[in-house]
Amino acid sequence: MKFWEENKRHVYWNPYFGGFMLGLLLIATFYITGRGVGATGGTKSAVVAAVGKVAPKYAERSEYYGKYYDEESNPMKNWLVFETIGILAGAFLSGALSGRARFRVQHPTHITSNKRLMWAGVGGLLFGFGSQFARGCTSGAALSGSAVLSLGGFITMFAIFGTAYMLAYFFRKLWIH
Amino acid sequence: MKEELIISGRNLPNIDPHLHLWHWPISLYLFLGGLAAGILFFAAVITLFGKEEKYQGAVKWATIIPPIALSVGLLALLYDLTHLLYSWRLYMTFRITSPMSWGAWVLMLVTPLSFLWTLSYFKEFFPNWKWKEGIWSYVDWFIDFINDNKKIMAWVLVPATLILGIYTGILLSAFNARPLWNNSILGPLFLTSGLSTGAASIIMLSKTHAERRMFSMIDLVLIAIELFLIIHLVMGMMAGSQVQLEASELILGGEFTVAFWVFVVLLGLTFPAILEIFELIGFKVPAIVPAALVIMGGLIFRFVMVDAGQLTRYLY
Repeated sequence: MKFWEENKRHVYWNPYFGGFMLGLLLIATFYITGRGVGATGGTKSAVVAAVGKVAPKYAERSEYYGKYYDEESNPMKNWLVFETIGILAGAFLSGALSGRARFRVQHPTHITSNKRLMWAGVGGLLFGFGSQFARGCTSGAALSGSAVLSLGGFITMFAIFGTAYMLAYFFRKLWIH
Repeated sequence: MKEELIISGRNLPNIDPHLHLWHWPISLYLFLGGLAAGILFFAAVITLFGKEEKYQGAVKWATIIPPIALSVGLLALLYDLTHLLYSWRLYMTFRITSPMSWGAWVLMLVTPLSFLWTLSYFKEFFPNWKWKEGIWSYVDWFIDFINDNKKIMAWVLVPATLILGIYTGILLSAFNARPLWNNSILGPLFLTSGLSTGAASIIMLSKTHAERRMFSMIDLVLIAIELFLIIHLVMGMMAGSQVQLEASELILGGEFTVAFWVFVVLLGLTFPAILEIFELIGFKVPAIVPAALVIMGGLIFRFVMVDAGQLTRYLY
């Protein structure tokens, strides 16, 4: 029998090894592109592009969108947008290799799929707000920021994980089996 | 002072310096035409081999797409026409040297056949309909008549769909003033892309594992041919004269570089090919993902070629 047929259970990397690989990836990213990685930046570009298409005048005037919007250049021509597409493609390949690329919603048995998806939406929404306050998410601010010894990056990282550590107890039923 | 008077007769808005006539309906039509040709070609070939039972996704389910695709595509074409009421003139003549004439006539042949093909399965799609009663008995008789002559239809469709698929490319390559289009590879390239998107649609609609596997293999071969043709298109351009070099510059660093290399070559061909290889050697990949990527890639490819080609020119 083929190797991957014998190993259909979930195969995850050791988290410490995964973290080490993530560090190497970050070095490669700095070397190749001259900047760090990011995750929410791609979404932000998509939002800016959409607002710019629908209401160009507003996008130009707005204090927030104005910083990223310029009539001449397309906000989607940003390395983070392409990095995000690459992440999707790479994650899909990795999922296929470990036999996990399927359409499903994973959730504990005492919670319905809808509830899981709703809370995922709420969490994502909060994270989106947070990433704009902090000017970056776990990847853009915490990972890439702390790699270049940015104080803001360290504060963001400790705030993200510290808050999660403090509040996890109250929401544990949403993800513990 | 010595005066020099230059008189230019070049006042051709929308044609000079750049062609600016063909918009999204043309790109959409070229894509839909290729897609319909691809699906019907496979359906016809399978029918000729007598394997309809084994490959039902191709002959029965995916063939619902061509009549819709051709109708939408033709509506897009009509929408694009400036002198819509003159379009009947295409059918008053046949010019063997005009790709558009070939296209007009082959569409006149393939479109009704695509409707008949779908109609031939109506009794299977709606088994509880009162087919034997009243006026429906005539429809019933007609459907039986089509099914009895399916092989003849298939014999007509194989060459007709190949002409339809290749004509979508030759239509562009016959523009001798547009260097990005004006090469002999574009016809086969568009045909291959059409067949590949057709195979991808069959994969999406197929209900059996064996059929998906078969069409994944066919699609892989087609993607390989397509990549080969794209490489030769670019190599031919790079080995050409200054106009070809400037034309290829549009996809080699110019404004269509990202759309072409990232969205067509990488995400529309290479990545789905890798996924299909994974699937064939036994990894679990939802078949819909590579198939959808191939179809997206084919659509973007038509838009890139139509938009970029119009910007290229010979005269300066």
